[in-house]
Amino acid sequence: MARIQLRNLSKRWGSFVGLKPMNLDINDGEFLVLLGPSGCGKTTTMRMIAGLEDASEGDIMIGERRVNDLEPKDRDIAMVFQSYGLYPTMTVYENIRFPLKVRGIPQAEHHDRVMRAAAAVELNEFLERKPAALSGGQRQRVALARAIVRKPKVFLMDEPLSNLDAKLRVSTRAQIKNLHHELQTTTIYVTHDQIEAMTLADRVVVMSRGEVQQIGTPLQIYDRPANTFVAGFIGSPAMNLIAGEIRGGVFEAANVRIPGFAGVSDGKVTLGFRAEDAGLAPAGEIAAPVYSMELLGDSSMATVQAGGALVAIRAAKNFSAQIGDPIAAHVPAGICHLFDPTTGQRIDRRTVPAGKETA
Amino acid sequence: MTTRIADRRPATLQILLSGFLILWLIVAAFPFLWTLWGSFKVEGDFFSKADWMNAITGPLTQAQTGSSMTGDGYYGAWVQEEFWRAALNSLIVVVAVVCISLTFGTLGGYALSRSPYRYAFWLLLVALVFRAMPPITLVSGYLLPFFEWNLWGHLPTAIIVLVAINQPFTLWMLTSFFRNIPKELDESAMVDGCSRFQAFRHVIIPVMWPGVITTGLFSFLLAYNDFAVTAMLLSKENQTMIPKIASFLGTTQTAGNVMFAVSSVVSVTAPLFVLVMFFQRQIVSGLTAGAVKG
Amino acid sequence: MKHRTFLWFFLPSATAMFLFIALPIFSVVTQSVFAPHEQVIREVENCSVFGCTKATQIDQEATQALREAEPMGRYVGAAIYADRNHLALSEIGALWNRSSGPVDFLGQLLNLPFYGALAFTLTYTLLVTPLAIMLGFLIALAVNAVPRFFRGPMIFVSLLPMIVTPLVGALILFWMVDARGILGAVIQMMAGDPNLSVKASTPLMWTMLIVYGIWSTAPFAFVIYYAGLQTVPQDTLESAMIDGASRWERIRFVVIPHLLPLTTFMALIKIMDNFRVFEPIVSFSASAHAQSLSYFIYSDLGGETRLLSSAAATSVLTILGVVVLLSPVLVRTWRSFGKGAA
Repeated sequence: MARIQLRNLSKRWGSFVGLKPMNLDINDGEFLVLLGPSGCGKTTTMRMIAGLEDASEGDIMIGERRVNDLEPKDRDIAMVFQSYGLYPTMTVYENIRFPLKVRGIPQAEHHDRVMRAAAAVELNEFLERKPAALSGGQRQRVALARAIVRKPKVFLMDEPLSNLDAKLRVSTRAQIKNLHHELQTTTIYVTHDQIEAMTLADRVVVMSRGEVQQIGTPLQIYDRPANTFVAGFIGSPAMNLIAGEIRGGVFEAANVRIPGFAGVSDGKVTLGFRAEDAGLAPAGEIAAPVYSMELLGDSSMATVQAGGALVAIRAAKNFSAQIGDPIAAHVPAGICHLFDPTTGQRIDRRTVPAGKETA
Repeated sequence: MTTRIADRRPATLQILLSGFLILWLIVAAFPFLWTLWGSFKVEGDFFSKADWMNAITGPLTQAQTGSSMTGDGYYGAWVQEEFWRAALNSLIVVVAVVCISLTFGTLGGYALSRSPYRYAFWLLLVALVFRAMPPITLVSGYLLPFFEWNLWGHLPTAIIVLVAINQPFTLWMLTSFFRNIPKELDESAMVDGCSRFQAFRHVIIPVMWPGVITTGLFSFLLAYNDFAVTAMLLSKENQTMIPKIASFLGTTQTAGNVMFAVSSVVSVTAPLFVLVMFFQRQIVSGLTAGAVKG
Repeated sequence: MKHRTFLWFFLPSATAMFLFIALPIFSVVTQSVFAPHEQVIREVENCSVFGCTKATQIDQEATQALREAEPMGRYVGAAIYADRNHLALSEIGALWNRSSGPVDFLGQLLNLPFYGALAFTLTYTLLVTPLAIMLGFLIALAVNAVPRFFRGPMIFVSLLPMIVTPLVGALILFWMVDARGILGAVIQMMAGDPNLSVKASTPLMWTMLIVYGIWSTAPFAFVIYYAGLQTVPQDTLESAMIDGASRWERIRFVVIPHLLPLTTFMALIKIMDNFRVFEPIVSFSASAHAQSLSYFIYSDLGGETRLLSSAAATSVLTILGVVVLLSPVLVRTWRSFGKGAA
């Protein structure tokens, strides 16, 4: 167990920048998620921490030790790969035992530790099988067992759930969360799935195009997205973003008119709000014909065209309307976020309604 | 398996294809059967001035040896002309070439397949140019220095030369096989505590066996079939089988010598048949490794 | 992979290739500009009672000393390249002035040994490669049409001409087309000439060598195409069917485009291989009618007098030929790769 510090860590391949200088302190025992779309540099960051990729600049500290020049094997880490990286010629037992064997841990301990690791992920019945004879979920658990069989300082997980089907993903997610609680080992977890990030993380690092967009707890990121990228990436559905203009404290765009932005200077602005914060009303700030209706189960989602974008609004599950029917939504200024239209950065307003600010 | 309507061919096309295929199979196989059969005849029958049917029935063989089949050609070649010595040399050369080629090739091919740098690509391109050079052009470069340093004529010299000449091909083939092994395998081994070499040795090689065997087969064929290098670099005592056969031809005037060549040709071909029979799948996969996958 | 690790892994292979491929190229180039020392001739006067006679005599010691002092021989520059056995520059000049027309000139040119060998090598390469690829394609189509069960044995038989030792395979064919062999007899019968012999006729010899080339090369094309046919995208094929494409159109617009990259690859490999054609000429004892560049080098190297310098010069020219043949590939990779170079 150890804290990890990244100082001005960056990666370049020739003229291509994979990761812009990044600073990050990861606390001992923390579960940190690197979140972003593919190609955002999250996997590169993790691979540099693992030692599978050389850092172009900057330092990586694990514990109090600078590890930049250490081989992966000397960094005392364990890693779970997206496609698991199991050794196809070895049985499950041998796979789990392999790290003990190559690290010269006394033979006598091997059996016990393998059995304990296997038990932790409920693999005891499959120990004699080869990976090829296992299902995806079982393979994934072998990879987990192989990571926890040693007591490494750090766990690295590279999209470990992305090859599983939706149902298995939920249960394995819970298992990973539980394991982390049990072992209290510093964990870095890479994913492009914001739900995984929200459910697992102590803190989330949202990344895009090789750059950190926001670092914060899941709630902070959900409630106060730092820019339009984060706003559009987090949440399901993602935050509605409408380009428009504020004039005299009133936001206006096609089909949209939201008053209540007193104190915000006039000019073009991007307005965002979450579908689940808004609601249908007989008359409201947004009024437009229905573009599509989707039943989600616990609720339904009405989509309208507003301000040149598709805007989703949550409705009761028994609400029904035909495409083309006019509807209106109540979108008070209090639930809205404002972003600079050119830089995408959040514009902070003093007047944040009570109950919306969560530290 | 029943054919779908969509896959059915018109009858004329089917006949045309089948006829063509049968013709090809005859063209491919008949020469071997003919030579195999003929190798048990005397020269007068195998090369019959009177009637080519004699090669099948063998009247002269009957007259000369008392039976329509004779092993004289084989006896003459293997015992009298000591073809066994050449066979032994071939065995030594081939085994050594395959082992050394594979050792060098797996190490180098692994490095090439795992290097993200541009020089790996250029090295492969240089290897392609080397691969394209006729071996005999290199042989003319060897002779003078080898004479000078007394390296000429010995088996080890021929072995190391064949290894080097095989390297470009071996590297290409193994690199393409290694590329099919996911990088995550070595990476997880390295995270688990292996050095690069340990990961290669304990994790990659066990997975690579099929590719190693296939490449080994082609190294075998290259060494076994070589004529240019072994003919020019080995002294008479150290001759391998192929140059030995060529030396039978040089003295065709001596009666029976041609039949020595015929029987040794059959002897040389037999192991290749067995090889293809057992390793057909590997040979096909090896030939297509570079092509089909890209 | 780090540079240092890469170096260690690649070292054995690199050493072998450097010592026995790169250095020999250097050695060949050097040898081609040096000729062996001529023997030192000394004039001696033998005097006896009848008077003195002058005689020439080889000075063994001086020759030996000279050879040891300069083991490479004497530097002759491009003289070997220009001599009659290679580029034959002065002979070409003379021919040009003498010959009655371009056809006559070409005919005479091919009598010069180097140009003859070059002509055969190029003819062989340029005929065998496309013909074998076409034959291989037809075999692959035919094998693909038979039930799966029969394919194994058919592939086995089809592989034989390729897998067999070239020298041996060529011998087997040669014995069959011998005037006293089965094919030879058939050819004589068809031509109605009982004395016809492949060995005696240059066109027949060239034809036979090319037939051997196709016979031994087609299986490679067959295997590649056969494997390619197994990976033809079924979706595309089926959507073409639904779109109403005929059998021929499906081959033309789906199968052939799918196999095209394979063809480029194969043509490249086979051009390289056919350019070094060598063993069949030994087997067919064809040197009187057809010589290839490789055989030309071989015959210089063999025999009592090893003409190392001459062989070296031909080798250099051959290597240049290979580079010219490969140049389209090299230039293409250079362009596509060199652009993004950092």
